[in-house]
Amino acid sequence: MYTKSTGSGAAAPGGSKFGKLLDVPIHRLMDQLSTATAEKLAHDDAQGASSSAVPAHKIDQPDASLWVDRYRPKCYADLLGDDRVHREVLAWVKEWDQCVFGRNKGKGKKRARPEDGENVDEWRRPQEKILLLSGPPGLGKTTLAHVVAQHAGYNVFEINASDARSAQIVEDRIRPALESGSAIGSSKPSLVVIDEIDGATGGSDHSSGFIQKLISMTFEKPKKKGRKNDPKSSRPLLRPIICICNDLYASSLAKLRPIARIVRFSRPNDVHLVRRLRDVCANEGLRADSRALTALVGMAQGDLRGCLNTLQLLKARGKEVTEPAVRRATAGMKEAEASLTTVLNDLFSPLSRKRAKELGLTEDDEARYIGRLSREVEGTGAMDRVAQGCFEHYANLHQHDANFERYMKGQEWLSAYDIMSGEMRSEREYALMQYLSYPLVAFYPLFQERGGPKVERPKADWENYQKTKMSEEIYKTLARGLRTASTRHMGDFRHLASNGVLQLEFAPLINRIISPPIRPVNSQVIRPGERILLSRLVDIMVAMELRFIQEKAEDGQLVYRLDPPIDVFVTYDGKRASDISVSRYAVRHLVAAEIDAKLISRDADSSERYKRKSNFFRKASDEGEEAQEDTEEGDAKLTERNPGSDAVPRKRARQAEMTEKVATDFFGRPILVPKGDSNKPVSGHKTAQEQKYRVTYRFNEGNSAAVRKPVKVDAFL
Amino acid sequence: MSLWVDKHRPRTLDELHYHHGLSARLRALAASGDFPHMLFYGPSGAGKKTRIACTLRELFGKGVEKLKIDQRVFMTPSKRKLDVNVVQSNFHIEITPSEVGNYDRVVIQELLKEIAQTQQVDLNAKQRFKVVIINEADSLTRDAQAALRRTMEKYMSNMRIILCANSTSRLIAPIRSRCLLMRVAAPSPQEMEKVLQHVATREKFHLPDEAAHAIVTDSGGNMRKAVLVFEALKMQSTDLTGSLAIAKPDWETYCAKVAELILGEQSPARVMEVRAKLYELLSHCIPASVVLKTIAECVVERVDESLKADIMHWAAIYETRMRVGSKKIFHLEAWVVKVMSLYKQFFYGLDMSGFDD
Repeated sequence: MYTKSTGSGAAAPGGSKFGKLLDVPIHRLMDQLSTATAEKLAHDDAQGASSSAVPAHKIDQPDASLWVDRYRPKCYADLLGDDRVHREVLAWVKEWDQCVFGRNKGKGKKRARPEDGENVDEWRRPQEKILLLSGPPGLGKTTLAHVVAQHAGYNVFEINASDARSAQIVEDRIRPALESGSAIGSSKPSLVVIDEIDGATGGSDHSSGFIQKLISMTFEKPKKKGRKNDPKSSRPLLRPIICICNDLYASSLAKLRPIARIVRFSRPNDVHLVRRLRDVCANEGLRADSRALTALVGMAQGDLRGCLNTLQLLKARGKEVTEPAVRRATAGMKEAEASLTTVLNDLFSPLSRKRAKELGLTEDDEARYIGRLSREVEGTGAMDRVAQGCFEHYANLHQHDANFERYMKGQEWLSAYDIMSGEMRSEREYALMQYLSYPLVAFYPLFQERGGPKVERPKADWENYQKTKMSEEIYKTLARGLRTASTRHMGDFRHLASNGVLQLEFAPLINRIISPPIRPVNSQVIRPGERILLSRLVDIMVAMELRFIQEKAEDGQLVYRLDPPIDVFVTYDGKRASDISVSRYAVRHLVAAEIDAKLISRDADSSERYKRKSNFFRKASDEGEEAQEDTEEGDAKLTERNPGSDAVPRKRARQAEMTEKVATDFFGRPILVPKGDSNKPVSGHKTAQEQKYRVTYRFNEGNSAAVRKPVKVDAFL
Repeated sequence: MSLWVDKHRPRTLDELHYHHGLSARLRALAASGDFPHMLFYGPSGAGKKTRIACTLRELFGKGVEKLKIDQRVFMTPSKRKLDVNVVQSNFHIEITPSEVGNYDRVVIQELLKEIAQTQQVDLNAKQRFKVVIINEADSLTRDAQAALRRTMEKYMSNMRIILCANSTSRLIAPIRSRCLLMRVAAPSPQEMEKVLQHVATREKFHLPDEAAHAIVTDSGGNMRKAVLVFEALKMQSTDLTGSLAIAKPDWETYCAKVAELILGEQSPARVMEVRAKLYELLSHCIPASVVLKTIAECVVERVDESLKADIMHWAAIYETRMRVGSKKIFHLEAWVVKVMSLYKQFFYGLDMSGFDD
């Protein structure tokens, strides 16, 4: 007996000295058995009497309770389905024993389980504090959770979709339930079962969502790790939580998946289901042939709850369970929910014989595919993905299509779909939704093929999306660089950053502009022609904030990488454009060094200039428009440094020089004693002016009731 | 150090190299003291923005060249934050509302009202109004355009609007009628060559005529592209003599390759191959309509006369569908399949008629 073997692993609280071997003392088990037999006998009697004597009573009786409830497994041994799954769940719950029942257990027990030491933390909890049960509906996930919890000696506290599920619930209800434990009447600790958790909102995006809160609760630890019995503010989770969901990959569960122990339910073997159904039928006095029951199980795809409900319905109608009756009763149950790949496969291949038989379709029904497929497509709830799947798959089919007749038709349908869904979204005409599935169904007559290649999950679009996002990011960085450059250069680069121009003209051409053929030589011995080229290259790159960044490649070699990596825009299919010479490491090294030098000098300049500005102020010079002067001066300085390429100064620049030469020497530093003949007359004039002027500075004039008194500018500096 | 495109950009109306008539008219308008709202339109790279900047200079003097560039944050009614880059001087402000996509209305409303309701503070300013430049006006949403039309009338006393667009067709009629339309046509090849020679003299080197000619023919009337290509060329090979390989943007080369693939073979396998290439282009952020247009042009160059009209016709149809729908790749591929089918039919039709004789 299974109960015996697991029971020896850990004792339920009830097991006193007998707990060593069994959960429940043997005499009590015997008692239970005898009462069960007695009940059954009594029940059979009642059934026999009622079925033979009063038919009306027979119909009344089943109505009293649903069969689903009546035949719900009461104890662990009653469970139906994959034993391994049940054992896994039970084992996980048992792992908590150390933590939950640790006190009232003998020390000797611990040694019995060798794996205790490895994955148990400070409170001897299992590694994953949450168990996530997933599987299609009707397989008994909820029942399993309840039965296992009871079996392990817990009180079940259930939260399901009928309760509000907000972050507050975690604080208000789950936490008290978990922490109160044995305080309320019963002596059992509680276990929380969160049913239908995939419907909970705010999993991934909201920081205050239900699931987020739940997760944070599992990670909580008391501030001081002293006594664990009365922690103050945030207490650790000391009771097991079981979550139940249908769709394991629901987006709201994304955060929960990595930290939970996941147990997947699969469809139990049909034979077991049929056997159980037959027992039920026998118990209820319903005559059923096993072919009908097999058909029922096939139709329901393993959904035991559905099967039981159907049987009860048949019984209520007073019918016998025969195959046609079953078919009629399950008319609406045919397609509950299908995954994306199943739908796609159904669209591209005709119905398999087996499935057709399961659904009980005749040839005629099969030919009428539109209703069936459109329902199926709609059932996925992700029609865009279905469309994408169709798009990605249709060209894989090796069918003879000389004139692309079918291809064009398929494309036409896809266009129709896309336009319709686009219109639906933009105009918010969601009434169109019900028609959206039909353009996709059209793929069935066009492309269905028995034994064609399997449809794969559509992924090209997603990959493309990722790549596009990456490129967009790089463009954004580039545009930002251009905008910064334009603040330094009087708005020069800003027109290049506009949409369209950036992608179509600037990005490909700037790559060519910044990769001139330079020989890798020492910067000291470089030829004058190349020196000009190099300095121009460095200027351009510095202006746009392009850098070469040293990195270690996978093979350990050092490489220089362009940052932002705008060279991706001349790389198509992984190949760089042929007309751009790939600069070698040495060249890039040279350029990178020059860029760094330039940046340092620029920083130094700006700090110099800042100082100089305050000098000007003190000297009361009348040169207004400092901002303009700064940039002008930057330009002029570059002109001087790089006379080859920028020998003809613009009118604007010349004007600026006239004013600014007053204060700068050849290197752009301020000079106190002017030298050079061109400077002399101007600055002479200046000193004359200086004596005449006085700067007065008024602070908050007119606004303040404070005492006013004249203050020298020196006082502020 | 700026790129040549910016370095040699004309700053005043006198410095402009072509469309002298237009310059004269702008100068007259600026002098008249009765400056209207304006809409500059013309192909990309014809010099619209340059001309606008020159006009502003004419209006306000040197002060407009003192630019401040910063980011403004706007709030949508749904509390979303929008970042917009704003370029402004004391006399004008320049925005590109299409940066924020569908929320451009918010930007237009808030920014314009704010500007319009404050008067020119600088007493020395030459004009009593401020100028708002709206770039990429043809990608404004309908809502934004509607928001613009009333503002344009109401605040005429302290604000003028200059719109800059590639074509007028996507602007609503009320806006067009409120503006003085200024068409800036693409420069002729001779004019472009003159500009390139001008750049060369300013940069102090000699530009051989053949090189200038080659660059100009390749640029298709886009001055900005021509100067960028010119600079790239100069960077790559210093002497500019001999046979020159004019740098084409890579996406253009790639589109030409796709066109070749389409015409090379018509089979399902080829459809998949082309699809991969189309994805590659789209992932490089090349707009789908540009992709379609470029490929269509390449295809049309290589096919028989009788097919050309058909191919362009379908390209136009699928381009419209692309704008209405949301999945660009569907429509691109639909067009590819269509072209393949047309080409194949044409080919077989030709062969058949040959057999008949």
